[in-house]
Amino acid sequence: MTASPAPQKRRLSHSLVLLVPAVLFGLLVTLQWRTQAERSELSVRYNAPLIDAANALQNEQNDLKTQLAELRRRLDEIQRNASSQSGAARELQTRLDQLKASAGLTPESGDGVIVQLDDARNVSVSARDVDKSICHATDLTDIINTAWKGGAQAIAVNDERVVNSSSVYCVGSTIMVNGTLMSPPFNIAAIGPQNSMLGAFDDPNQLQDIKQRRDVQGLGFRVSRASAVHVPAYSGALNVRFAEPH
Amino acid sequence: MRTNRGAIWVSVIALFLGFAAVTQVHSQDVFSRSLNLETPSSLTTLIANLSETNNELRNEIFDVRRDVADAQDSVSSGKGTLTEAERQVAQLRVFSAQSAVAGPGIAVRIEGQFDERALSDLVNELRNAGAEAIAVNDMRVGPKSFFTGTADHSIAVDGRPLRGPWMVRAIGSPDVVYVAMTRTGGIIGQFELIYRTTRFAVTKETALDLPAQLVASR
Repeated sequence: MTASPAPQKRRLSHSLVLLVPAVLFGLLVTLQWRTQAERSELSVRYNAPLIDAANALQNEQNDLKTQLAELRRRLDEIQRNASSQSGAARELQTRLDQLKASAGLTPESGDGVIVQLDDARNVSVSARDVDKSICHATDLTDIINTAWKGGAQAIAVNDERVVNSSSVYCVGSTIMVNGTLMSPPFNIAAIGPQNSMLGAFDDPNQLQDIKQRRDVQGLGFRVSRASAVHVPAYSGALNVRFAEPH
Repeated sequence: MRTNRGAIWVSVIALFLGFAAVTQVHSQDVFSRSLNLETPSSLTTLIANLSETNNELRNEIFDVRRDVADAQDSVSSGKGTLTEAERQVAQLRVFSAQSAVAGPGIAVRIEGQFDERALSDLVNELRNAGAEAIAVNDMRVGPKSFFTGTADHSIAVDGRPLRGPWMVRAIGSPDVVYVAMTRTGGIIGQFELIYRTTRFAVTKETALDLPAQLVASR
């Protein structure tokens, strides 16, 4: 080592001075390249107002659900007070309570399992495999089906209770459950017999596609035993317009 | 000379870092779902769905508000709330598949190779189109119903094997449900491409009769 430390330090500081503009330049070049590559695909003109409209409708929906829950609570209160008057009324109230519980209109808590489903993160996936590395509506319906098969008593997906009218709907890459917008990660909470449900999820014949994508593309999929699982009441409408009981 | 070479190397590395930083942001974009990535056509479909859900909620709020007023009137006139409670019981029994129901809707006849996952998808699609009651052959589908394959390549609903040809019947608006099933790119169109030898026949029905679910609730 013959060189004195002083010039070496100067060289280093020269390099550092260059570092910042060079990084900026790199950023700019890449941004420019990206923008040119994508500008044509994006429909810039219509997206902003449509996204605003979708968000406004989702906010309105949350308000409507709160209003409906409050009205249901008031009706329940009036009926409960009135039902103490006669034996027939008490019997009917008991029947109503049972029906509300089996229809999913009451919150439930108890032991169960939590299933976490998420898009692959921080994994480089080839363009061909992107489709396999993200969650689809059918993954959710398969997981829900497996939980019912395992004896689940109550299920919710990201706090949306799964009831007889529930559907999982996919538009583009956005998922809706009970008509509510959702995005990953998904938490599927299922209350019920833990061993039986874990057995259903572990069954190699069940969810083969999801398990393979977890192992190959890094899809997030984890099933765990959980105590004190909370599943909220269904807060949507009970559309019965065409079906007549007989 | 040495200084220049050092600067060139630093520049190259910095250029790479800049590139990597942007690419990283970009690849996170690909995997984080947000409305920003949807096309106007997808956004329009999402908006139509949200509007429909909100309209249903508004109708329900209107109905329950009336029920609350009726119940208050009944209580103050000393009649009790039996009528409102009975109406609710009837509605919930239909909603949770505990009573037999009649009404208009559609029927899907499936003859040929089919499987439990496709049947589950079909039921999901029918519910999404607003079907209020669904049955496969003569088995009513309930809130906790599940679909499994059987050893002989048939389909079981709630553990009970059902033989094909399968008849899936759904009560709801015949026009709305029919269009949802048969539209271009819809589920029946997809099935026809996947199960090429299977025959799918969708018909509008003016009067369907569906039984109550066998196992009322587990």
